[in-house]
Amino acid sequence: MPKKVVSIVVFPGSNCDRDLDIAVQKYMNVNTELVWHDDSSIKNQEMIFIPGGFSFGDYLRSGALATKSPAMKEVIRLSKRGVPIIGICNGFQILTECKLLDGALIDNYKRLFVCKENFVKIENKNTLFTQNINKNVVQFPIAHAQGRFYTSEDNLKRLEDNNQIVFKYSSRDGKIDKSQNPNGSMNNIAGIINKNKNILGLMPHPERAVNFSEDNDGISFFRGLQNLL
Amino acid sequence: MNLRKLLKMIYRVYINFKKGILDPEAEAIKRTIDSMGYKTIKKISKGKFFDIEISSSKNTLGDLEKISSDLLSNPIIENFKIIKK
Repeated sequence: MPKKVVSIVVFPGSNCDRDLDIAVQKYMNVNTELVWHDDSSIKNQEMIFIPGGFSFGDYLRSGALATKSPAMKEVIRLSKRGVPIIGICNGFQILTECKLLDGALIDNYKRLFVCKENFVKIENKNTLFTQNINKNVVQFPIAHAQGRFYTSEDNLKRLEDNNQIVFKYSSRDGKIDKSQNPNGSMNNIAGIINKNKNILGLMPHPERAVNFSEDNDGISFFRGLQNLL
Repeated sequence: MNLRKLLKMIYRVYINFKKGILDPEAEAIKRTIDSMGYKTIKKISKGKFFDIEISSSKNTLGDLEKISSDLLSNPIIENFKIIKK
């Protein structure tokens, strides 16, 4: 049987698309198609990734200009049909700017670019994207300057009540407090899902946690996605 | 002043953070001003503006409002205000 094909949308300034491509092919056991932002159709619609980087130089606001790309218009259309979509880092910023996910990702609390390994607690294991990860706390690298998740108090409560918060920055043993929060995100939020549970956005980079050993948590993240296809 | 210049239609769109959103850049600027020895500066907030020249006044304000809320600002975190220059 031919391998299934997963789409990765690439913008001018994306820089995690190749890493993601390698991780997806190797650990999801699929082929990939890189879709240029100017394409108004996405041929392979089983699953779509929006990679990290600095789309359009992060001009205006991170992710803002990418939202108007023809490929993103198609992503928005397909999202309404329930296609699984994952945005990582700049991809998460793009999905919030498109209003496919709640909130906004703004300048880190200390206005520094943070680049380090961080522990992340999986707050909701009952999602398409996290149900097969066999750990409660994973270690993923983070690398961003605008990762502070912000939304209104009402929205935050709604996200918590609907179990839409999927990842929170934590300690190794899953403790969630300010000392583990690298960017000032509300409630330590590192990743959320939409209300219909088919769109995931996360700031950490699972595609950068696949290289060094079989224990790397990015591997179980991508392997866990195989059953989506 | 020539007529062409006189007839230029320019609008300015101001964007700033909504109240209550911490702006670490403005805070850092404020701290630097404090360190320069100024004693009376209480608070600084930062924003940006766009000058937009238009070629026809048809639907101008409606279009500018839409452009401002759809792209130039993110209504979750920012306010905008449009003025005629």
